[in-house]
Amino acid sequence: MDLNHPMLLASDDPPPFPPNQTQLRRLDRALYCQICKEPFQGPVSIACGHSFCSQCIRSSLESLKKCPVCNETAGEGSIRRNRALEEIVDSWEDARAVMINLSQPQASSSRKRPPPQPTTSSASNDKVKRLRRDEAGSSRSQSPAKRSSGADEDEAIDISSSGGVEDEDEPVLTENDEGECPICSARLAIAAIPLHIERGCPPPKKQVNGSGSGNQKADWKKVFGGVSTAKNKDKEPMKRITKPNYHLATPAELKAILSAHSLPITGDKPALEARVQEWILLYNSNLDTSHPKSLPALRARLNEIEASRKRDKEKGKDALGEQLTTKEGVAKYVKERGGEFERLRKEVLARDSQALARAKGQAGKPIEIE
Amino acid sequence: MSALPKRILKETERLMSDSPPGISAAPKDDNLRHFDVSVSGPGQSPYEGGIFKLELFLPEEYPMNPPKVRFLTKIYHPNIDKLGRICLDILKDKWSPALQIRTVLLSIQALLGAPNPDDPLANDVAQHWKENEKAAIEQAREWTRMYAQ
Repeated sequence: MDLNHPMLLASDDPPPFPPNQTQLRRLDRALYCQICKEPFQGPVSIACGHSFCSQCIRSSLESLKKCPVCNETAGEGSIRRNRALEEIVDSWEDARAVMINLSQPQASSSRKRPPPQPTTSSASNDKVKRLRRDEAGSSRSQSPAKRSSGADEDEAIDISSSGGVEDEDEPVLTENDEGECPICSARLAIAAIPLHIERGCPPPKKQVNGSGSGNQKADWKKVFGGVSTAKNKDKEPMKRITKPNYHLATPAELKAILSAHSLPITGDKPALEARVQEWILLYNSNLDTSHPKSLPALRARLNEIEASRKRDKEKGKDALGEQLTTKEGVAKYVKERGGEFERLRKEVLARDSQALARAKGQAGKPIEIE
Repeated sequence: MSALPKRILKETERLMSDSPPGISAAPKDDNLRHFDVSVSGPGQSPYEGGIFKLELFLPEEYPMNPPKVRFLTKIYHPNIDKLGRICLDILKDKWSPALQIRTVLLSIQALLGAPNPDDPLANDVAQHWKENEKAAIEQAREWTRMYAQ
């Protein structure tokens, strides 16, 4: 198993901050949920004051009525939506890329610049530079002490011209800019227009309260388009589902809950129970965010979870290895996996001896600070 | 291969690229929830110099439920029984989803450095430990030489 395993490459995480940026790393880490280790999604706080993603803490409290961080007793009743935290996470996500660029070592310490981007002509680069200099007063105002020195003024320009900041002053349109669809004249990202036309000009999704003018066709579509009842149902204000008492609920009652939310009612009681439980979790936590998912998306997610549960269960049976309950089985297993363990053993030894050597070296020499 | 939660992918990646001192872990190619682990015995303990093999399995409910961990190498320790099962609170009732593979393995390494005969899993070993600690430690050292080199 190596680091290039296709499964590991699947994660599309933003790059972490360089290790010397401890403050930024700390800030970045503070905005991660302690359960899923991802940036908070629909953050909520519980009685002890710790915050988690709504879905994470709800599913954690199902099995253990305690705060995962401080072990204090906690119940689902104490869950409160944390809007300020959500706003912080959202704005940090926007700012993160910019901060990473700004914190690159070449931008601040050395004068090396990455080659100019192909779309940027040198003339417009100069323009950006000039604009930046005008702006420098406002954008760097948070560090007045630094600003007073001339060298730092220079640096501010360096950062901007090295592509660290988004060039919103660029007159050239990029594919993220908005354009008008030539057919229905809806405004959307230029890159998305061909697909939009291909699909027969559906009204753009993001634009809920569009300006109205120049978008009449799409606006009317919204009024007359939703003939199907399912669509109307989705727009009703959502209310939290109250949990049924799973011990007392009959399969028929569970089925009633499921069919009220247009979910499949197949399977025996445990299957129904699991489905209801999972759905309530998804549904209720979806109410704790200002970016809720649509009901069809939630249903799709439920399906996905169920399918993967099933596969895991089938797999888990042989994965745990019946043979490992006996001494002979263990011996056989160790023998079979000998190569892997040998590799791991060498790795541990090499790292240990390295650490030792480093410790010895440091003891002998005066400590150098990089 | 069923979709692995992102958290598991992230943890694996970090474990393999930046593992804690004295600990190596790698998932199996055919089941990414099943890890082969090597832990070196901590210094100043009877397990010093030994490298112990463990297996770690992330159940489907992970991180809501704790990982299952077991020693594959024979070890003379009051909290680890003949089958390699480990008596460690965070693997049972003190589990919290905020913990992770890395912290579990570090705790196991710490358990090797601090055996607790008052909360035994292997009763005979614990008895030995309580009655004659010196001899028990010598026995542990010998087992380390015999099985964990």
